[in-house]
Amino acid sequence: MPLILNGLAPIHWAIAGAGIALITLALLFIANRRLGISTGFEDVCSFVLPIGYFTRDAVRLARGWRLPFIAGLAFGGFLSAMLGGGWAPIWSLGIFDQVIGFGHAGKLAWMFVGGLFIGFGTRLADGCTSGHGIFGLSNFELPSLISTLSFLAAGIVTTQLIYRVVFHL
Amino acid sequence: MALLYLALGTVFGFVLSRSGAADYNYIQAMFLFTSFQLYGIIGTAVAITAPGLWLIKRYGRTVAGRPIVVPLKPQHRGNIAGGILFGIGWSICGMCPGPIFVNIGEGKIYAIAALAGALAGAGLFGAIYTRIQSAFRLPRLVVGTGRT
Repeated sequence: MPLILNGLAPIHWAIAGAGIALITLALLFIANRRLGISTGFEDVCSFVLPIGYFTRDAVRLARGWRLPFIAGLAFGGFLSAMLGGGWAPIWSLGIFDQVIGFGHAGKLAWMFVGGLFIGFGTRLADGCTSGHGIFGLSNFELPSLISTLSFLAAGIVTTQLIYRVVFHL
Repeated sequence: MALLYLALGTVFGFVLSRSGAADYNYIQAMFLFTSFQLYGIIGTAVAITAPGLWLIKRYGRTVAGRPIVVPLKPQHRGNIAGGILFGIGWSICGMCPGPIFVNIGEGKIYAIAALAGALAGAGLFGAIYTRIQSAFRLPRLVVGTGRT
């Protein structure tokens, strides 16, 4: 199955997994940082919401590394497009377009609602696929196992409902 | 140091972009059990990170000789409730937090709406933290000690 991005062929899962592992280990071994991305939402919020939760030391003292790391994520996506057939603003969303097919406004609303769940959920669970799923599981942390099983299960149920019950693939 | 983080983030973003981890179809295919790709990626990442992490912790120091500190995440009721909410969002958007930023970089316009939603959701959580703290047994906020 080609990627949505320029119809590129994906790299092998073993190579991608090894790459993610090496970056996770490099972050810890070089910079003494625990991989985690969703806390970056707090870093951004902390600039505009000077309320208790966002003034936590854990947020204030980590902005210096997490914000450039997140900027790198976006830049990596940009480079990937540039080097793989060219960068252009796109709306295509794969099977969503084929099966659900809302227009642009509907797609933005859909994404905003999903984003609300991601932002609130990752803060409540205290981590996402990176902090719990990659780092926490690798470090044999029980809260990470509980969180990872919860978000995988919820993702499976939600997608099955969307594409096998409500809309039909 | 900021440049180092930018560089590591860039490589991470590139890998997520080219592997399917930041691709709506691949995320749905994972949840529909029609593709092994994402399970393979996460499984391989954990299988290599776990022994590497053990070795680094055993060595106990960074490459520059500073003691390794791995902050642990607290266990509470939010792990399950928050995990479920996040999983629903992951399915709806076809993105987890890292790939939101990757998709924006790739030029996928709708990812900006996902980021706006995520920031609003995180902001909402911060705003009601003290009100839901006891229900989910969330930890006390540590503010102003100067330590992480």
